[in-house]
Amino acid sequence: MTKPLRYLIQLYFLGSIIYLALGFGSNKFEAFCPFGGVEALYGLFTTGNFTCALAPLNLSIFLAVLVLTILSKRTFCGWVCPLGTISEWIGRFGDKVWPKRPRFPKSADKYLRLIRYPVLAVILYYTYTIGDLVFRAYDPFYIPFSGLGHETMGMTSVAVMVVFVVGAFFQPMFFCRYFCPLAAVLDPFSKVGLIAIKRNTETCTDCALCNQKCHFGIEPMALNRVSHRDCVNCLECVEVCPVEGCLELKVL
Amino acid sequence: MRIPKIILPILVLIFVAGGYFLQSTFFFPTTETVFGAVGDSEVEFTVDGVRCRGTASFFESLFQKTPGIESITTYAANGRAIFKYNSAEITPDRIKSIFEKEIRMRDGSFRRVFKEIDRTER
Repeated sequence: MTKPLRYLIQLYFLGSIIYLALGFGSNKFEAFCPFGGVEALYGLFTTGNFTCALAPLNLSIFLAVLVLTILSKRTFCGWVCPLGTISEWIGRFGDKVWPKRPRFPKSADKYLRLIRYPVLAVILYYTYTIGDLVFRAYDPFYIPFSGLGHETMGMTSVAVMVVFVVGAFFQPMFFCRYFCPLAAVLDPFSKVGLIAIKRNTETCTDCALCNQKCHFGIEPMALNRVSHRDCVNCLECVEVCPVEGCLELKVL
Repeated sequence: MRIPKIILPILVLIFVAGGYFLQSTFFFPTTETVFGAVGDSEVEFTVDGVRCRGTASFFESLFQKTPGIESITTYAANGRAIFKYNSAEITPDRIKSIFEKEIRMRDGSFRRVFKEIDRTER
């Protein structure tokens, strides 16, 4: 039941961003990016003003996402974020047309996920010291929705989008796993995540269907509680589990 | 404690909506410049072209030599610019004509950078 509901919610938020990007509505689409709230913090503390095009909505959405993450892990990523939605759909398309396509080995994937921390550090360092959104040209959220707009860099920005799409095709949630700076910010809060999926070890048949279904490559079958920082509570593993009540949402 | 799955979409919608409505709590400006005059009136323009800190600063710089302006506060998020001014020295129409004038570009051409969309006088 939650699967179509999640698709509907994803579609609604993606559609809303497209609507705003086309110039409708009173807010700019950029204002809905919670990572903008992180970028705004330094400017607000030092000058009392917002950096570049950042808006109050960036900050308030970021704070809301932070609390949501403490409550229910990275639910925002799996239910709302348009980049997560697009990545997921490209991955699904990849599963349909080329199920056995090459992917990063698990050992490499584990370490590649650490790339997002230096990515976050570099973005914040330059944004805070220069006082401008200097990475717009490399931002897969900004580039397509601005229509290669203000401050993008032509072929370089196109290349970023090509890497985003091709990456998501071969490695599900490529950008979210390895490069998303918001994910890096949310990670410690996601580890807290009060509402998470729990596995009943007594009823589990070790069929591994849940492992196959996870877009983030988490293996619920090997865990008692899916406390992995990348779990977005999409509930795909719960939906696919053939044993009633084996995988369930639980508090703590 | 077991939680019904429906709780997740409910939480998502509550928090996204909450974040949206909380934005008024953080309504800090993009730029604020105080000039010399003592104002007795206020006019708020919504300006096409004020879209970031850079364009907002440029917008304010157009009024550096204009008498009768007490302060300009801009909000790039929605392109708002609030002028406090002395009504004996300047009018909202004069303010508009200053920011809507054509500006010389690097290539020598002239272009109108800012355009009034809306106005509220107080």
